Amino acid sequence: MTTRFIAVIPATVIALVGCGSPAKYIETGSPQSVVSLGEVDMQDVLTASSGMLESLLETGILKSGQSQPAQLVIDRVVNDTSSQFDVGELLFRMREQMVNSGQAQVVTTFGANPEDKTAQDQLRAQAFRQGNQVDGMPAPDFSLSGKITQMKRQAGNTRQTTYTFRLTLTNVRTGLEVWTKTVDMTKQGTKDSVGF
Amino acid sequence: MTQLRAPISSIIVALVLGACGSVNTTYTRTTPADTSIPAQTQVNDLLTQIFLKAGEVRMFPTKGGPLEVQVDVINEGFSYRSFSYKFDWVDRSGNLIPSQTGVWKTAAVPSGSSVMIRSIAPSETATDFRLQVRRGE
Repeated sequence: MTTRFIAVIPATVIALVGCGSPAKYIETGSPQSVVSLGEVDMQDVLTASSGMLESLLETGILKSGQSQPAQLVIDRVVNDTSSQFDVGELLFRMREQMVNSGQAQVVTTFGANPEDKTAQDQLRAQAFRQGNQVDGMPAPDFSLSGKITQMKRQAGNTRQTTYTFRLTLTNVRTGLEVWTKTVDMTKQGTKDSVGF
Repeated sequence: MTQLRAPISSIIVALVLGACGSVNTTYTRTTPADTSIPAQTQVNDLLTQIFLKAGEVRMFPTKGGPLEVQVDVINEGFSYRSFSYKFDWVDRSGNLIPSQTGVWKTAAVPSGSSVMIRSIAPSETATDFRLQVRRGE
């Protein structure tokens, strides 16, 4: 009896060690996602872009543009956090919704640092051939800029991080800020976890 | 002794149940909001599954045009409750409108308190919403 019991213990240990959770697909940003205390997670980006879009829809500011749909140029969004991620994760989701739903058009050929240099060169060449430097060049209504910041605090073993996503829409013709929105996300705990 | 124990137990149970209903939130408004919609029962049934309760459910057009829904979520229990929720919007035909705004968000309600969760429809074609909730980890 004792021998059998002793034999069962190593078998159980081996079984438990081998029982790591296998990789699986989950819904992006779903409550099964990993929650990191010191990093911006995908669900944070999704929540921020959702909050920004909802605010744009709610205010109807894009309807006030001279062009309809409003023409928008994406300016700099600075990631001022210790978490390394591409701010495009936030902006492209917003662009997808605004452009595909016909609420805005994003100008990718504007300014000194255009997103699409080839298209800008083509537009300039076309305007030069036609002897007109102005017509045909994009004239955006709004520019979008912003910043992502963080605030870290600790009490004992408990760590807390607040990530703040801030975006501002400026009327390019007047130079005035016409919309601004802040989305905060605070995470607290002693270690990273799976699920929220 | 046994005869005495029963009334004492009843009093304790009554006190516990009575305390459960004390939510420390008040409104100056005593009648339902003009924008209140009759979906409260369905939303309440959903929230009851995660030991929460729905207060008023309001839906109204925003300044920009699309509809906004607001749900008052009440925690009448003794523990701090966190939950995740997701709003999706459907058009007049009942078809889901794909959108980047329909994401899982989190909320927490302290014991005896209430929070408001809200969502803005992705377009003016949205007429109704679908709400999903999950109990927090």
